[in-house]
Amino acid sequence: MKRKVEHPAASESALTGPKYWRSLDELAATPGFQAQLEREFPAGAAEMNGTDRRQFMKIMAASFALGGLGLAGCRRPEQNILPFGKSVEGIIPGLPQYYATAMPLRKSAIPLLAETHQGRPTKLEGNPTYTPHGGATTLIAQASILDLYDPDRATAHTKGGGVLNAAAVNEVLASIGKNYTGSNGAGLAFLAEESSSPTRARLLKKLRSKFPKAVWAEYEPVVEEPPVAAAQACFGASVKPVYRFAKAKRIVSLDCDFLSAESGSLYYAREFSKGRKVKTKADADKMNRLYVAESNFTLTGSMADHRLRLASSHILGLAIGLLTKITGNTELAAQAEGLGVKPEWIAECAADLVAHRGECLLVAGAHQSAQVHAIAYGLNAYLGNIGKTIDFVAIEPSTAASISDLASAIKSGSVKTLVVLGGNPAYNAPADLDWAALQKSVGEVIRFGYYSDETTAASPGCAHIAAAHYLESWGDARTADGTVVPVQPMIMPLFGGLTENEILARIAVETNADPYALVYETITGLAGGDAEKAMRRFLHDGVLAETASPTIAVALNMASVRALFQKMPAKVEFSAKSLEVRFVTDHKMDDGRFANNGWLQECPDPMTKISWDNAILVSPKLGKELGIDPKGSLIQVARKEENEFYIGKENGHVYELTIGGRKIKGPLHIQPGLANYTVVVALGYGRTATGHVGTGAGFSGYAARTTTAMHIATGATLSDTGTRSLLANLQEHWSMEGRDIVREANIDEFKENPAYVRGVGMESHSPSILGEEGEKMKLGERAAAVPRGGSLYDTPSDKNGGFDGHHQWGMSIDLNTCIGCNACVVACQAENNIPIVGRDQVLRGREMHWIRLDRYYSDGNIDAAAFGGEGNAQLPEDPQVSLQPVACMQCELAPCETVCPVNATVHDDEGINTMAYNRCIGTRYCANNCPYKVRRFNFFDWNQRHLDSLYMSQLGPKGMPELVKMVKNPEVTVRMRGVMEKCTYCIQRIQNGKIQHKVKMAQVGTPGEVVVPDGTIKTACQQVCPAAAIEFGNILDGQSAVSQAKSREHDYSLLGYLNIRPRTTYLGKLRNPNPKMPDYGALPLSRVEYNKKNHPAGSGEHGGAGEHAPAHGEKKEPGHALLDAAKKIGGLS
Amino acid sequence: MSKLFPPSANKLPLQIIIYVGVLAVIATAGVTYYMTPKYTRVGYAPVQPVPFSHAKHVNELGLDCRYCHSNVDKSYHSNVPTSQTCMNCHNQIKATSPLLAPIKESYETGKAVPWVWIHQTPDYAYFNHSIHVNRGVSCVECHGQVNTMDTVTHMQPLSMGFCIDCHRAPEARLRDPKDIFNLDSKTLAEQGRAADAAKFVHDWKVKPPQSCSGCHR
Repeated sequence: MKRKVEHPAASESALTGPKYWRSLDELAATPGFQAQLEREFPAGAAEMNGTDRRQFMKIMAASFALGGLGLAGCRRPEQNILPFGKSVEGIIPGLPQYYATAMPLRKSAIPLLAETHQGRPTKLEGNPTYTPHGGATTLIAQASILDLYDPDRATAHTKGGGVLNAAAVNEVLASIGKNYTGSNGAGLAFLAEESSSPTRARLLKKLRSKFPKAVWAEYEPVVEEPPVAAAQACFGASVKPVYRFAKAKRIVSLDCDFLSAESGSLYYAREFSKGRKVKTKADADKMNRLYVAESNFTLTGSMADHRLRLASSHILGLAIGLLTKITGNTELAAQAEGLGVKPEWIAECAADLVAHRGECLLVAGAHQSAQVHAIAYGLNAYLGNIGKTIDFVAIEPSTAASISDLASAIKSGSVKTLVVLGGNPAYNAPADLDWAALQKSVGEVIRFGYYSDETTAASPGCAHIAAAHYLESWGDARTADGTVVPVQPMIMPLFGGLTENEILARIAVETNADPYALVYETITGLAGGDAEKAMRRFLHDGVLAETASPTIAVALNMASVRALFQKMPAKVEFSAKSLEVRFVTDHKMDDGRFANNGWLQECPDPMTKISWDNAILVSPKLGKELGIDPKGSLIQVARKEENEFYIGKENGHVYELTIGGRKIKGPLHIQPGLANYTVVVALGYGRTATGHVGTGAGFSGYAARTTTAMHIATGATLSDTGTRSLLANLQEHWSMEGRDIVREANIDEFKENPAYVRGVGMESHSPSILGEEGEKMKLGERAAAVPRGGSLYDTPSDKNGGFDGHHQWGMSIDLNTCIGCNACVVACQAENNIPIVGRDQVLRGREMHWIRLDRYYSDGNIDAAAFGGEGNAQLPEDPQVSLQPVACMQCELAPCETVCPVNATVHDDEGINTMAYNRCIGTRYCANNCPYKVRRFNFFDWNQRHLDSLYMSQLGPKGMPELVKMVKNPEVTVRMRGVMEKCTYCIQRIQNGKIQHKVKMAQVGTPGEVVVPDGTIKTACQQVCPAAAIEFGNILDGQSAVSQAKSREHDYSLLGYLNIRPRTTYLGKLRNPNPKMPDYGALPLSRVEYNKKNHPAGSGEHGGAGEHAPAHGEKKEPGHALLDAAKKIGGLS
Repeated sequence: MSKLFPPSANKLPLQIIIYVGVLAVIATAGVTYYMTPKYTRVGYAPVQPVPFSHAKHVNELGLDCRYCHSNVDKSYHSNVPTSQTCMNCHNQIKATSPLLAPIKESYETGKAVPWVWIHQTPDYAYFNHSIHVNRGVSCVECHGQVNTMDTVTHMQPLSMGFCIDCHRAPEARLRDPKDIFNLDSKTLAEQGRAADAAKFVHDWKVKPPQSCSGCHR
């Protein structure tokens, strides 16, 4: 039976004020956006193009002819089973194995457990033994496994076009050692990346003692750790801070994106979310409050309770303002003036910190100057936070030369042999060094790298030594807190790549350069005791116990701090003619090293939602001054005329950004929430020499970056080039028409009414959809019995024997802790064999991610023309952000199931809405009928066809490269063209979890215990989540974590009024603003908008069902206009 | 009007209908029989690189299934033994037999013996051995009496219908857990112990999945 879902007709008042808007187009309700709302997929997603009918017929005829020839192949192919010749210990065909390893990144590492299937790693999880991360991982760690199987990686050692074999490479390396032994290394230079590896540190010492005159330089294009100079000045010690966010009740972030861009941000995100976890109203007082002052709009900023848009150059002034207010010291007060910040903002923020001595925390961004950090340290000391919310740990002072030192050595001609260990200086070194030319001038260059990239290309005759992936390497690393973790190989180097340690050992002419032996020596040296035992323990646990850097007691030295403030930077005023530029580490590409990773490229940026590209981000105000906002009410992102708007395709104006004479070109994207005259450029794009995926994606910001302005540049200008560039922006796809999607409240309201979510939204106006009977049931009963309520549709339930009676799966997502980092998106992609579709197809709205993170803006002042207002006079500049991960909700009364003509999507006996790919014939009715727009259709055979020849269909090349096949999860079907797919709650994990539990119980003699204990089965998104926002489990078990979460009072269903009863529910978002702050609002801005839309007469408090007598008289005219509009688009037919 | 058609043509429509009907029946019957796993797969007995006789090893020598298929109760796959497993005995017994040459070579070089895969489920069906053998389903249910076979032969269709039949009524096919690897044993139902079978299903909470997600993912 077909069940038609009727959205309640919008009342007049409902149409007089908008709520959430996810893009400026939505806010302005442009015709293009309206048209898109009506569509199942964005325009172009469901259409063929590039082929007319006649050509299509030709191609089809050709395919039929080929098909006829192929009939000979009807016989079943003979396949073989190939067991090992000699048994291999521990390997059981069909069962995955898990090994501890770690992903090293700059001065930190992420401890991991790698899942391997018959020797090939397929998935990475956080190592739960390392408690600070609690088993979570990051977006980049999840995606890094794809790099291992990248067909574009350096697959051989080469020199000037020829291939070097392993022996020749050893000879090259050993000859360096021999040639420079006599001269003590004079003429030899190294350029390496930062590393936390104890083995590398040990080898470096040896290398230096052997070649005392050699230059050892380290270069990282981006910074993650605070400048050591600040700690030196404050405490006279080489220390770095480790923040304890879980203990901090009040947090002030000074341009610090500690949730994603700082060293140790995974730990910080986890700790921060602990302070955001509010289960009941008793927890409400424990919730932390976050003040953020920043120029860019970061994820940290999106979590802020009070957010201040301020140019990065002015952050020092703000810090001084806080210093003055908190300590009363007015020495520097003059610096704090003229920032345009309300004095009350600073005063009340300061007062709040003072009121929370010992349980507050100030953090400053790594790119900020030593002075800002010194103030943050000083204030933390003054407020008694040291040892409580902030600890200082000793760090080894770096003895490496800088890249500038090395550049001048090369210029002076004193470098004869240059060894470039990793990194990619020709791409990312400061532009004023002109590194490519410098490198060319060196006689002999040895390059060690994972890709044959820009740096390799800069010295065509150099020896390129292929690097091993970390999953192929023996090594070690230290996490951000100093704990030593192993880097253990999961597979032999696929292309004979070497490790950095091995190279150093060979150059230093070590007798044993075997990478395992090198690590063994370091670790057993560190661990002491029985060497073999210690090493085994180390590899088994994945951490070396008690190696975290010890906390050091520090005392503030005012004299040296004063010295630091002798010279203050000149105050800069910004305007459209003189802009500030922030170069930021990209959320996905990092500094560009992951540019060839398709998962990361396709993952949208968490704030701009642009994939496969970067853009020059400008504030709405600057956009207006540049004249790129359309006139009138048609406010559209980065485009002027309506007819240039292709739905789902952002048509960005390409501008030229000039900084000190250096120019870069890129499309503009108007990003609400930026400081007015700060322009943000994400680094890591515009690669010219990497693989197929990364080459040509976006533009490179490095071309305009100089040694003196690495992170913040001033005095920049923008000029129009007159051209346009399409951006693959996922922001407008899959709109939910701006209803009560994310429900939020301030903590004070929550304290009074923890069930505030019930007063928001359609359900609050109608009788319970569960019926009286259903409303009385407990969660578990409700899940098993599926009360019919008002539904005619008879779904499986215990009553009709459709359910198995043991498990009913459900999920709860806590919107209050979700930080929107996208890690779940890529974890899901890795677990479920989700294909990459490429930039061109994303532009057509055909991305395949099973989870998307919706990012909504709200600013409370919306009065759009489309809703009967006067229209927006100005682009909103300071919105609040609400983030929401959305995957298939596994509705109990799933609308997709009723429309499938072939029963390909049906309910299973555990309440999951399943997809049988083999039955699916691709009608896409299900996607059409899904109110959440979470179903994804395989428009092409993404796995078997090359992304650049998709439209050639049968005539194009076919087949997946062997290397790419290796990353696929064998537990999940690889889908082909023409089938629908969507989230399955990781059905493979559920089935395996149940099977393993039942087998275990049968073997221990209690076969009747078939219910899987809570916590055994984790979905991929749940396991990766840095904020622990996702709970998953059996809702028949009242004690399970998910049942507990779902029974909290602020649990709600998305679009609950549709009576489709999603199994995934959300915990409402809470904000904790300070009532004394000038930007305080009694309601979150989204609620202000909600009320404006639903209660235009200001009927105020929102209560139970049916109390709203419509007071719709006042706004008749606009309402009618809207009704007409709605009729036109068929909304009220 | 002249006679265009002879009188016999009057019967033509009926004849055509009958003819087409018969043809359709034959075609349907043909497809149903010849194009199903019952015909295409049952009886498949390819020549293996080594003529290993299960009858000899199991019935004459009394080897347990799990001596060679050692992970059948732990894993998805019932593993085919490594050459080393064979050599455990055959380095003593018939060590020089030419029939064993591929095994010996494999053991020495580490290269796999290319056993021909007989019982093959489609890639989209995820069949797990361990859950079946641990919960009352014997090898013999799907593989037939391998203990009597000189050449392993595909005995059951292993089609979805075959799986579902048992999943719908497991009590008919359950064995005493002690008899799982005894291929000559009978199911509880065959022994006339229907009550025991029902008790098994009740006590062990046997509820085989009948949803798509049980096998397809």
